[in-house]
Amino acid sequence: MKKLFPLAAAFIALLLCSSHDMYLKLDSFFLQPDSKASILLYNGTFAASENVIDRDRMLDVSIVANGQRNRIDTTNWREDDNVTILDVTTGEPGTYVVGVSTKARTIEMEAEAFNNYLAHDGVQDMLTNRTDNDKLTQDANELYSKHVKAIYQVGDNKTSDWKIKLGYPIEFIPRANPYNLKVGGVLPVQLLLDGKPLANQIVTIDSDGGSHAHGHDHEHADGEEHEHDSEDGHTHDGGTQVRTDANGNFTVNIANDGQWYLRTIHMVEVEDEELTHESNWATLTFEVAHGHDHADGDHAHDGDAHTHADGTTHSHEGDDHHHEEGGLPGYVWWLGSLVLVAILFVYFKRQQA
Amino acid sequence: MNRLAKLLPFLILLAYPMVVSAHGVSDSDQEILNNGGLLAYILVGAKHMVTGYDHLLFLAGVIFYLSGFKDIVRFITVFTIGHSITLIGATYLGIKADEHLIDAVIALSVLYKGFENLKGFEKYFKTQSPNLLFMVFIFGLIHGFGLSTRLQSFAIGTESFLAKIVCFNIGVELGQIAALIPIVFLITRWQKLKSYQAFYKAANVYLIIAGVALFVYQMWGYFNGGH
Repeated sequence: MKKLFPLAAAFIALLLCSSHDMYLKLDSFFLQPDSKASILLYNGTFAASENVIDRDRMLDVSIVANGQRNRIDTTNWREDDNVTILDVTTGEPGTYVVGVSTKARTIEMEAEAFNNYLAHDGVQDMLTNRTDNDKLTQDANELYSKHVKAIYQVGDNKTSDWKIKLGYPIEFIPRANPYNLKVGGVLPVQLLLDGKPLANQIVTIDSDGGSHAHGHDHEHADGEEHEHDSEDGHTHDGGTQVRTDANGNFTVNIANDGQWYLRTIHMVEVEDEELTHESNWATLTFEVAHGHDHADGDHAHDGDAHTHADGTTHSHEGDDHHHEEGGLPGYVWWLGSLVLVAILFVYFKRQQA
Repeated sequence: MNRLAKLLPFLILLAYPMVVSAHGVSDSDQEILNNGGLLAYILVGAKHMVTGYDHLLFLAGVIFYLSGFKDIVRFITVFTIGHSITLIGATYLGIKADEHLIDAVIALSVLYKGFENLKGFEKYFKTQSPNLLFMVFIFGLIHGFGLSTRLQSFAIGTESFLAKIVCFNIGVELGQIAALIPIVFLITRWQKLKSYQAFYKAANVYLIIAGVALFVYQMWGYFNGGH
């Protein structure tokens, strides 16, 4: 019994310190124009959703495409298992943005659980604050809200909607189109809080296709996956942590193909009779995949099926990208040109004679 | 030996295009831009100009028409002013067109120059060709818009935005100078040879054919490119 007690305590602590990150995902972030697709709202980890989101929690659901922001009726969502799903039909080609902003909720946490959550979910600054001010034993009543975005590409035409500010309390704004990225590239991103650059904020960067996608999803007897921390102190989702600079900027080094996600939790202490803290959570997801980075070229994929890093496969029948390096190779053009000029030259020379 | 010397310009002409390829701006350029700072924009701009056959063919067509070095400097300056206006302006304002369509118009500028050099306006339309300096300026604007559209297809971010555009433009100018040196050298040298008239006709007929071919190629790309 004595041996079991620490194990049971650890298990309870793990459950308590787990938090639910929210992500917008698609099976593939590369869609065809005028086609049906499902946008998935995960609440849990990036790998698995642990519960659905009530519609009345959704303050804003927006899809931005070709310069137009369409606010989506929250009744359009459906549920499947623990995932909240929005079925959409794509329109004109372009780079699309979908965003969801949720109402604030409160959660009460005992001091130890709260400290664990701060330590392992990228809120170390608040933990330091509690340590420095001798507050580690104080329980917390946190007001939290989540604001998530995903950027996906429809067809080949890269539009500038990726830079849209949805006006959420906290929001990642890419400073370049993620769909011009390929492995080895760098995506500059700015983090805004209430529309202003948020400096010195910890941001976690990860993808499902890199070395950090290390399969820490644990399935329990109840069939649910949940998030917890390993003994070395990294978060369940792993990832790289960076800090924003004075202008809220940071960069994402694209080390591999796959679905990439950024997440951050900004927390402040509040002076309130009931609340102790307020937090705003943000995530941003997008995909980098081979053969889809054709910002400057032509690439024919007729009948060509691709398997993505996340295992999804789709074909590009009739999807003929503009790619200068495709089509006629440059040297063929020049060689043919020279032969033609030479023939013409001989012809006119003879005519002259 | 004398015969070989006469053939030398033609051999150089044969070899030169083989070292350049069509519009070498590629995905690898995005990586250069991502990691190379402002200098990378100069490099990519120069590369685009040196390897962009439509720009080079048009410039070659212009130089064919000119006789003195002063003329060449004057026309190239006007072309440079034209393309710098649209390259910097359109990129800064985020104005762009479909790449196929703008490249198709640039192809027409190549066709135009060949047609004009062969006195097509006089022969077929019984009229004088439009003022060349003015046309070179107009085509400069169009080529600059094409360059801008290409630059905007890269993820260049918003940091030092104007500086990046200007650096790309500087690269374009440097690439243009690098490309013009052998072109001017060849054409001016050949002008002294007896075979120049045949070469002149051959090269300008080729410009017309190339202009049509590039136009058809770009329009095909536009209608079959999933737009």
